[in-house]
Amino acid sequence: MSNGAEFYFYEDRVETRGMDMRLLRRLFSYLAPHKGLIAVALGALVLGTACQLAGPYIIKLVIDRNIMPRVMEGLGRRIGLFFAAQAGAMGFLYLQMFTVSIIGQRVILKIRADMFGRLQRLPVSFFDRTPTGRVMTRLTSDVEALQELISSGLVSTVGSATVLVGIAAVLLWMDARLALVTFAVLPAIVLFVELLKKFIREANREMRRKLARLNAFLQEHLSGVAVVKAFVQEGKSVREFDARNDEYAAESIRLTNFYSVYFPGVELFASVAIALLLWQGGFRVIAGAVTFGTLVAFLEYAQKFFSPIKDISDKYNILQSALASSERIFQVLDTEVSPEYRQLPPGGKAPPGRAEEPGGESGTPPAQPAIEFRDVWFSYPKGDGTGGEMVLRGVSFALHEGETGAIVGATGAGKTTILNLLCRFYEISRGEIRLFGRDVREIPREELRRMVSLVLQDPFLFSGTIRENVEAGGDELDRAVEVAGVSRFSASWETGLATQVGERGGHLSVGQRQLVSFARALSRDPKILVLDEATSSVDPVTEHEVQGALGKILSGRTSLVVAHRLSTILSSDRIIVMHRGKVREIGTHKELLASRGIYHRLFSLQFAPR
Amino acid sequence: MIRDAIDGISAPDGREQVVRAVSWMVLFAVLHGGFRYFGRRGMLVTARRVEMRLRRDLLSHVIRLPLSFFGRTPTGDVMSRLTNDVSAVWLLLGPGALTLAGTAISYVLALLFMARINVMLTLVSLAVAPVIVFTSREYGKAFHRNHRKAQESLAAMNTTLQENITGIRLVKAYGLEEREEGRFRAACRDYYRHNVSVSKTSAAFHGAIGLLAGVGVAFVLLMGGWLVIRGRLTLGGFVAFNAYLAMLSFPTMALGWVINLVQRGGSAMGRINEFLGIPTESWEPVLSPPRKVPDAPFLEVRDLSFAYEGQDRGEALKGITFSLRKGEIVGLVGQTGSGKSTLFSLLLLLYPVPPGTIFLEGRDVSLLPLDEIRGAVSLVSQDPFLFSDTILANICFGKDVPDEQDARRAVSMARFLAEVEELPDGLHTVIGERGISLSGGQKQRATIARALCAGGELLLLDDALSAVDSETEQEIFREILSVRGGRTVLFSTHRMASLSRCDRVLVLEEGRIVEEGTHDELFSRRGAYYDLYSRQMITRELEAAL
Ligand SMILES: Nc1ncnc2c1ncn2[C@@H]1O[C@H](COP(=O)(O)OP(=O)(O)O)[C@@H](O)[C@H]1O
Ligand SMILES: Nc1ncnc2c1ncn2[C@@H]1O[C@H](COP(=O)(O)OP(=O)(O)O)[C@@H](O)[C@H]1O
Ligand SMILES: [Mg+2]
Ligand SMILES: [Mg+2]
Repeated sequence: MSNGAEFYFYEDRVETRGMDMRLLRRLFSYLAPHKGLIAVALGALVLGTACQLAGPYIIKLVIDRNIMPRVMEGLGRRIGLFFAAQAGAMGFLYLQMFTVSIIGQRVILKIRADMFGRLQRLPVSFFDRTPTGRVMTRLTSDVEALQELISSGLVSTVGSATVLVGIAAVLLWMDARLALVTFAVLPAIVLFVELLKKFIREANREMRRKLARLNAFLQEHLSGVAVVKAFVQEGKSVREFDARNDEYAAESIRLTNFYSVYFPGVELFASVAIALLLWQGGFRVIAGAVTFGTLVAFLEYAQKFFSPIKDISDKYNILQSALASSERIFQVLDTEVSPEYRQLPPGGKAPPGRAEEPGGESGTPPAQPAIEFRDVWFSYPKGDGTGGEMVLRGVSFALHEGETGAIVGATGAGKTTILNLLCRFYEISRGEIRLFGRDVREIPREELRRMVSLVLQDPFLFSGTIRENVEAGGDELDRAVEVAGVSRFSASWETGLATQVGERGGHLSVGQRQLVSFARALSRDPKILVLDEATSSVDPVTEHEVQGALGKILSGRTSLVVAHRLSTILSSDRIIVMHRGKVREIGTHKELLASRGIYHRLFSLQFAPR
Repeated sequence: MIRDAIDGISAPDGREQVVRAVSWMVLFAVLHGGFRYFGRRGMLVTARRVEMRLRRDLLSHVIRLPLSFFGRTPTGDVMSRLTNDVSAVWLLLGPGALTLAGTAISYVLALLFMARINVMLTLVSLAVAPVIVFTSREYGKAFHRNHRKAQESLAAMNTTLQENITGIRLVKAYGLEEREEGRFRAACRDYYRHNVSVSKTSAAFHGAIGLLAGVGVAFVLLMGGWLVIRGRLTLGGFVAFNAYLAMLSFPTMALGWVINLVQRGGSAMGRINEFLGIPTESWEPVLSPPRKVPDAPFLEVRDLSFAYEGQDRGEALKGITFSLRKGEIVGLVGQTGSGKSTLFSLLLLLYPVPPGTIFLEGRDVSLLPLDEIRGAVSLVSQDPFLFSDTILANICFGKDVPDEQDARRAVSMARFLAEVEELPDGLHTVIGERGISLSGGQKQRATIARALCAGGELLLLDDALSAVDSETEQEIFREILSVRGGRTVLFSTHRMASLSRCDRVLVLEEGRIVEEGTHDELFSRRGAYYDLYSRQMITRELEAAL
């Protein structure tokens, strides 16, 4: 794939400096509802840690009271105590691990649902420009990275910090000088971690980006695999995949290299600290300043002291990777929703000219056309947020209730665009679109969706049965299936309407897919029916029958259809001829033929034998 | 080392011995760090390379699997094996193996040192080992079960998600947002449930292992204390023994994690192998491929029947027989679902074809290399699919290197050039996924240009102009006809005007060819063809009378 493609899509790169606190605060807001569980986890953690910390102290007692003076008495008791402490520690560990993982899972559940909900409400243009694979990556592996942080990170970091503080206190209490010796390496460790952090974060971010790219490529080439095969391009696809795969591997190897320095580095510091301790401590034991048991306990504690430090620095990395992911997650959550999902401010931004009209809520005056376009200008939004070429240039037309309008015109004239705007998939740049006298921008989304029923040019079916697909539209299954001609083919199948249609409806022929999506549109009871070349792949006989049946249920309804076949166009009340984004002719079939314009030419060509 | 230092404390030349031991310790720590660095790097980087290789091999295998595989396997499933499962294998080979190696080394070394200090004590500390092994095995099984369920629900969640994103316009048009949210949430909740049970077992295992390790330590304390008191063990030895034992506590606790990785990686590898085990479609050609028969028809189909697998809808094609001469332009018509598209995909061998049914210039295609046949046939499918790339790259998809000259010619033949040139970047304009930023007719013409650019001798147009207005359709047909020298065309359409131009028409009905002849012949025969198109004819006559 050429480089150009990279710039077309919304950029994935997120630049954040000093955002960490904000990100963390947002993450914490997801944790807030689980206060109870967190308290349990922390409680278990503190108690478990206390039990665990008791261990070395008991050993110290064993050495100082039993072994050094060589008395057996009390040994069994102390060991029993040791075992009890260990059992307590493990019981609390279980509790803590389990609650923490539940917290993590719940938070993730919530974040996923939030992201998905947000996704449903993003403008169509977002999906025009964001490859499916990329969106999927955010909802899957980015979210998993975050989960890792919560399950294995947040609480256990708090835990490690508790242990750290606890041990530090115990050490200081036992012997302040030796304690300070143990802490001597801490500044060095902090410096080391900070130094590497920047690189690790950056590498993490790049890796996630590359992964998203890889997934987008996979997703696309798997759904277009038939094309790859038809053109014998398996080799080329694999080569292009290789490039992305290599990029990803290179990035992950870079990260691995950083980690390879990181972990042994931290460990080395810990070993140095223990050596220091032994050196100093040894001298002081020899000098008689501390007891032998104290030194042994110190060594045990020091090892326990550095394991949370290793742990924290390890979690620090998970944190880095999770922050890289949460940037991307919050980016989705922060993408502005499409305007139709926003609450209309009461009496707010009414467009000019609406104020003098009587309240349209109770019974619209019959004079209002069902569909009206007034000088509509529109361009598809580009990736950088600006508009591109104007696709519609001053489109105006009106269609009255009960009428059938047909839009005709060359491909790319803007027919589908008109229908997209009618359904408010995009926001227009200028002008007004009115349904029954009301600006589409003022009709609440649910009402608009109930009012208009659309058959898309590209018939999309959900995997599942035919019945499920039709019922996604509305309740009138039987009638819809009959009228749309679905029963013509489904009736002869053993499975009938329970036939599985496959992914995107791939187990049906294209014409059959069109009929099913037609049925879906008819299964509801819309005031306005919008058909975008709904039967373009259907044979003339079926089409004719569908039209015959449709005529009966269409009475009283307004419909706007895009069609190339004259048989479809002929039955309409008003024909709108589009040419390069402009309405060039409007009228009935007869009128337009008589005026000998574009329509006349289109029409005479369709049947001209040579 | 610790033992030396500690023993040194009680020795006469204490200080010196302590210093010596400590310096050795630092040296060892540095060496250890160095080894860890190289070991880690070596293992992890190698694992990454293996991951990359595995993913590549898997893709290159999967992409060569027959189309029927993609018909029955959701894209989400294939994706999840190429991503999640391959990553699970990396986790096993990289961090998993590293931890395992670390664990094994720590165990061996620690046990050796411990044995050197006191064999008895070592045996005592190992008393709990069998229980640990047993617990681990049971845990592994439980994890495997739970994990598989979690994996399945993850795949289901991904499929729901992917379907939602690809059908987002429909979701919006029908106000299905809430329904979709419900579906997705249900899938997520399912996944959540399985994950919780995974973590429940995992937490229990951790606790149990910790407890067992505690038992071990308690034994050692008891026994060791007794030994020291009896003077059979030095104090330094006792302390060092405990230190070694403590060193083992981390690897033991990490056992659970390693088991998870191994189970996960193992079942991922199983799922990957499942795909790798499916034979790819490019069967080996026989040693001496058949030679062209001089006066054989260009394409001949003999008694071809076909049924889609896994469906009980009967045969989509039943005993199809026809032939095309070189340079002929033949129309294929029939009702929706009569098998036109099926026939086209069989001519391209996208589905397995029985031997002796399709002949290209007299050669049985089942004996020819797949790429030769697909190179000779260019299909424009009914469902236009474009990649999110530049128009140029899409048009030249069938070539190894894009050639702007060729692309321009093909685009112009497909009557798409004027519109492309109006775009700010012309041929270098990037179109969205599936060509989303093009209109339906533009997409179709782009796919036609792609097929023309590939330059196969047999051009198959499967209802490829349904979204194109009739004016443009006629122009494109004129173009294709004007260069008909050598190129054979089989096309399906529902518009009569184009049918009246071609040499011959085949009429399909429920998977059978029921009529064959020129437009005029068929029309006057008043059979199936007449039934299909009389309506269009009548409208035309009606209009002529106006
Ligand atoms: N999502 C989109 N993004 C950018 N441009 C688009 C998009 N959809 C359509 N276009 C462009 O807008 C013009 C009109 O397209 P459309 O309304 O689909 O035409 P048609 O009349 O064939 O239905 C075309 O030039 C097309 O390339
Ligand atoms: N991938 C598939 N799996 C199962 N059945 C299919 C598949 N594709 C098409 N069919 C069925 O085979 C029959 C012929 O389809 P097709 O060849 O696409 O018809 P058309 O003549 O409309 O192109 C139809 O009944 C259709 O439902
Ligand atoms: Mg269109
Ligand atoms: Mg078809």
